[in-house]
Amino acid sequence: MVVLRAHMCPGLELQLVRDLREADISTVEELVSADLEALAQKCSVSYKALLAIRRVLLAQHTAFPVSGADLYEDLLSSTAILSTGHPRLDELLDSGLYTGELTELSGGPGTGKTQVCFGVAVHIALHLKQGVIFIDTTGGITATRLHQMLQTESSSLEEQIAALQRIHVFQLFDVFSLLDCLCSLRRSGLQPVAVGGACVRAVIIDSVSAVISPLLGTRHTEGMSLMMQVAALLKALVKDFSVAALVTNHVTRSVGGAVRPALGVSWSHLPRTRLLLEGPDRSTHSFSSLRSATLIKSSRQPCHMRVEFDLSWWSRSKEVPSAKRKHS
Amino acid sequence: MQRPVWSLPLSSAVISKLNRRGYQCTADIEHLTAGQLSTETGVKEEEASEVLDLVDHQRYPVSITALELLQREAELKPIVTFCSELDRALGGGIPLGKTIELCGVPGIGKTQLCLQLAVDVQIPECFGGLGAQCLFIDTEGTFFLERLREMAAAVVRHCSLLTEDQEQQDAMRTFTVEKILSNLFVVRCDDSMELLSQISDLPAFLSDHPEVRLIIIDSIAFPFRLHFEDLPLRTRLLLGAAHQLAALATTRNTTVVMTNQMTTRVQGEGSRLIPALGENWGHAANIRLLLQWIDCKRMATIIKSSSHMSTTVHYQINTDGFRDLSEASKRAKVQTEDQKAVGNS
Repeated sequence: MVVLRAHMCPGLELQLVRDLREADISTVEELVSADLEALAQKCSVSYKALLAIRRVLLAQHTAFPVSGADLYEDLLSSTAILSTGHPRLDELLDSGLYTGELTELSGGPGTGKTQVCFGVAVHIALHLKQGVIFIDTTGGITATRLHQMLQTESSSLEEQIAALQRIHVFQLFDVFSLLDCLCSLRRSGLQPVAVGGACVRAVIIDSVSAVISPLLGTRHTEGMSLMMQVAALLKALVKDFSVAALVTNHVTRSVGGAVRPALGVSWSHLPRTRLLLEGPDRSTHSFSSLRSATLIKSSRQPCHMRVEFDLSWWSRSKEVPSAKRKHS
Repeated sequence: MQRPVWSLPLSSAVISKLNRRGYQCTADIEHLTAGQLSTETGVKEEEASEVLDLVDHQRYPVSITALELLQREAELKPIVTFCSELDRALGGGIPLGKTIELCGVPGIGKTQLCLQLAVDVQIPECFGGLGAQCLFIDTEGTFFLERLREMAAAVVRHCSLLTEDQEQQDAMRTFTVEKILSNLFVVRCDDSMELLSQISDLPAFLSDHPEVRLIIIDSIAFPFRLHFEDLPLRTRLLLGAAHQLAALATTRNTTVVMTNQMTTRVQGEGSRLIPALGENWGHAANIRLLLQWIDCKRMATIIKSSSHMSTTVHYQINTDGFRDLSEASKRAKVQTEDQKAVGNS
């Protein structure tokens, strides 16, 4: 619903807008679907003028159809596959995160979702030399850990510093700030800081359920609408700017004891690919860094594919930390 | 793609007035002044300027690069726990600006660790500490002044043994048990409503007391497990509270420590102990420490942290407080570490 304003198009003067408003026409949709002959008489303006205005408004506000062949060409030239930095996860994701799509990581507490997000950010900033936007809603981002991961991957201090400068962090704690942030990113074309930065290739949100879960489940439906608004903005963002989006989600336990991602069925349609991470085997008292990832939704790989991966991949180095040595 | 007006944090009355006049998206309102909006839609002038403030682009969130974040973090000192193994596993101690959850069975030492941290955060800067104040929110009635006094006396003794230069001697004159007790604020909350309102009041409290760097809630589970029938409501309230605490911790560089109880999950043939308050609550804290008995020894395990490896350490509780398992052999190590910290400060 677009409100009619003066000078939106040639011929739409302020007086005409007022006359139209008196005739109960205040939006573009109403003007386009109105009976122009009757309107011309009521507003004492020529029929031709109204017809010209309608043509221009339609041209301004209509979506244009694109042929499938053009769309395919576009897709081939603009899609990139960003490796996650961990070979086992890349296997599961069919080489990595695809731009123009949203991938979701869900898992219980301590299963490694934030570690995977850090690993992806570090890999893209360091090896692919592209910008990353990291939206943190839990307060869990620790730049010291990012630096440790960078030190594992590269020994050059300049490269590490350059990579740290390519990761832009937003720390937000409510859904309205998240919407503001996504809107501003869309408006500014994903250039959050205009300092000769590299072009942004990935948007990571850790975690999206932390801001949305408190709003769901009440009598009022605002929570649901706000969730769908976030979904729509994210979808538009990844499509318009050909970036890859990675979001993390909580899990809930269903009646039978099975674990499934939170935020419900409506949200489940948004991500193209969904991974469920499962934690270490807690039956023994020792806590290992092995985790498993299961593919629960994918359009490329068979579902329920499962890999085991080690979180300490991002800490692999020649020296073993002393705490681990004591208790190994 | 346009942002609809209902996605702004406005009252439903204002939103319906805007919608009635055809202003469905923010793009429709941006170019108006408060006066114009007020006359067009019938909202009051103050409300109209509030709406325009929300639509204004300048107030959009600002990002910082990871490098700036690293520089900011380097300036924050952690809070020592006096158990050197645990401090080492945590990279120096409990980090500032994070929310930490302590889970464990009764009697394992959760309150002891909380009392220890309440004293440790006050260690003067010349000894490698923060020299800050602490707020203790007690919901179970387990706050014992005598025990705190014992721990404070032990820490003062420890620091006086390390005193070397003039600055430290000056600091030791004011670092006494009485001073420690006066820098600790204690609040008693009897039920979940009081606890939630206390949490909402925290931003105002922290503005009035900018020296406070540690907030302890012992325990967050108790008021919510007692007489709370509506479980979905409980989950929502808890998550909302946790989120407020996370926002507070990050924006004010304050650490929030919460203790949780344990409950039994029956699975198939057996059962095991898991932290209470449900699956969703598990995501609330940034760092989770599980305190448990293994082979008659107390062990602390980091079971959730985005910046520390999953490690298990031994600890003990003695008259001095929360300490390493074998104090004698560790004493020399603790001293050299403190001297290093002194050297760095």
